[in-house]
Amino acid sequence: MIEPVALKDFFITFFSSALIILAGAAYALLFAWSKVNAHIGIKIAALASYAVLIASVLELTRAAQFQGYWLIISVAMGVGYFFAPIGIWHLCVKTHEQSVDTPIKTKIQEDEQ
Amino acid sequence: MNTTQLDDVIPKPASVLDKARRLLNDFKVWVNLDSGNLTAGQQLAVKYFTVAMILFVAQILFGLLSALQFIYPDFLYGILDFNVNRMVHINAMIVWMLYGFIGSIYWLIEDESGTDIVGLKWANIAFWVLTGAVTLVVLVYLFIQIGPGKDSSLWFINEGREYIEAPRWADLGITAVMLVFSYNVVATFSKGKWSGIAGVLTLDLIALIGLYLAGMFYMTNITHDQYWWWWVIHLWVEATWEVLVGVIMAWSLIKLLGARRKIVQTWLYIEVALMFGSGILGLGHHYFWIGMPEYWLSVGGFFSALEPIPLVAMVVHAIYDSGVHAFKTVNHPALAWVIAHAFGNFFGAGVWGFMHTLPQINLYTHGTQWSASHGHLSFFGAYATINIAFFYLAIQHWRGNVWMAAGTRHAWRWKWALGLLNAGVVGMTVALLIAGYEQSFIERAVEGSTWAGYFAAQNQPSFQHAMNWRMIFGLVTAAGLGLLVWDLLTIGKYEERKAEKIVVH
Repeated sequence: MIEPVALKDFFITFFSSALIILAGAAYALLFAWSKVNAHIGIKIAALASYAVLIASVLELTRAAQFQGYWLIISVAMGVGYFFAPIGIWHLCVKTHEQSVDTPIKTKIQEDEQ
Repeated sequence: MNTTQLDDVIPKPASVLDKARRLLNDFKVWVNLDSGNLTAGQQLAVKYFTVAMILFVAQILFGLLSALQFIYPDFLYGILDFNVNRMVHINAMIVWMLYGFIGSIYWLIEDESGTDIVGLKWANIAFWVLTGAVTLVVLVYLFIQIGPGKDSSLWFINEGREYIEAPRWADLGITAVMLVFSYNVVATFSKGKWSGIAGVLTLDLIALIGLYLAGMFYMTNITHDQYWWWWVIHLWVEATWEVLVGVIMAWSLIKLLGARRKIVQTWLYIEVALMFGSGILGLGHHYFWIGMPEYWLSVGGFFSALEPIPLVAMVVHAIYDSGVHAFKTVNHPALAWVIAHAFGNFFGAGVWGFMHTLPQINLYTHGTQWSASHGHLSFFGAYATINIAFFYLAIQHWRGNVWMAAGTRHAWRWKWALGLLNAGVVGMTVALLIAGYEQSFIERAVEGSTWAGYFAAQNQPSFQHAMNWRMIFGLVTAAGLGLLVWDLLTIGKYEERKAEKIVVH
């Protein structure tokens, strides 16, 4: 059974939902950028975006009154948005393995070494 | 007045036809396009693109009329009612996008298969049958707006299902045309060579035709009816159309940026898996309030939360590519529209979709202007943009593969068309978002979805101001479209430089 959003939480529900997607994309973008350009500032910005995402997920969980198995959605968003960019990055590297010019691949190989 | 005098006033049909023919010839001379630059399949494709642009114009015109009727409800009342304008506005959009997709496929299959199109004669007949049917259906919409709801109405006038109102005879015709289209695709690849892109396209066409059938049978139970109706609406748009766009994008990236085929095809498979994985059961968010079992609330909520994942993949991959490859494009307008596609798809489908999709809030927002806000940005971002990008690819080749990169003459036209169209649609989206927020708050949450609540919401100043702003941004969109049409007809007209060869990365 669902508990509809309370009137007072209307705006925050829309806002936190939008922020989840925006912060998720910002984290993905900054995470990928930090792989291209290993600057500590970019890594920190990526983690800050992820922190905004987690705060938004928590706020949505409260405002949308998630309870019982609905909490799975909150957990799935928290975990999924963290690992999805990492997984997709690895897919990028693997699918481009035979590319002619691969500075990123070299960097990752260096990391592994 | 005798008949001789009448002849002076009313022109003879033959002279009207003659004049029309002369005007058409003058237009062809002015446009100065040489079809000798195109293969037979591409010549058919540009016919589809031409009709797509005409329908795009119709979509905007009927959209403007509908927007005006929100501000002046008496405007054209009893002559061209709001429900008819809205229906033609949305139907024109669906059909022009389909024309764009079909045209794009006819454009690419000869190149992709390495052989001529099989059954081209049938393909040309199918084009004229489809175009004739679309014209007739729209004329019937406009001239028979009111009538009894009988079986014959369903067969010949209007099937009554929102967004797919075409009468059943037209449904059967559309299915037959799509079967001819599928035959062209399968037979051409069978004669030439198959590829990953060809395989995905073929499977997608089977799904496209199969799902359309789900919207053709009539049921007396409204829940049953809506259940199948959503198969066409949601699964077409959020599954088969997305894959079709994936196929067109995959081929375009190879041609536009010189991306390597192996990589593009691998990512096409990944994208299909992600989209089908989240999109098929994302259908559940349409089943919340139509009388379906309660478990659809959880299924719809969960899979809707997953739907933005392909968009996140797109962001990561874009950064990866920009870091690894120094891509150069030979068609700046097309690439600019592809970038607009990425942003529009992300915001329209991802952000605007998820904001109101969970059942806890969708209880209040479904069917309000909030949905219209999401619909405007996501259809434009996900589909209009990619079709326009392809039109620019086509016009470049139609003009003889001319230079369309940096330093193109009159480049301001495509840049302003891009800016005005995007600003117009974003403006309408924000205006409708404000109207939808107010509507879901006042009409649904405070007033409890009553008739009184409906009118209370419609009469709120914030709703009415939002509708005024929607009209203004609709006019901005129309100005952008006018400029786009002008640019597509003239870009590269006096260009003598040839496009650079694309280097495969």
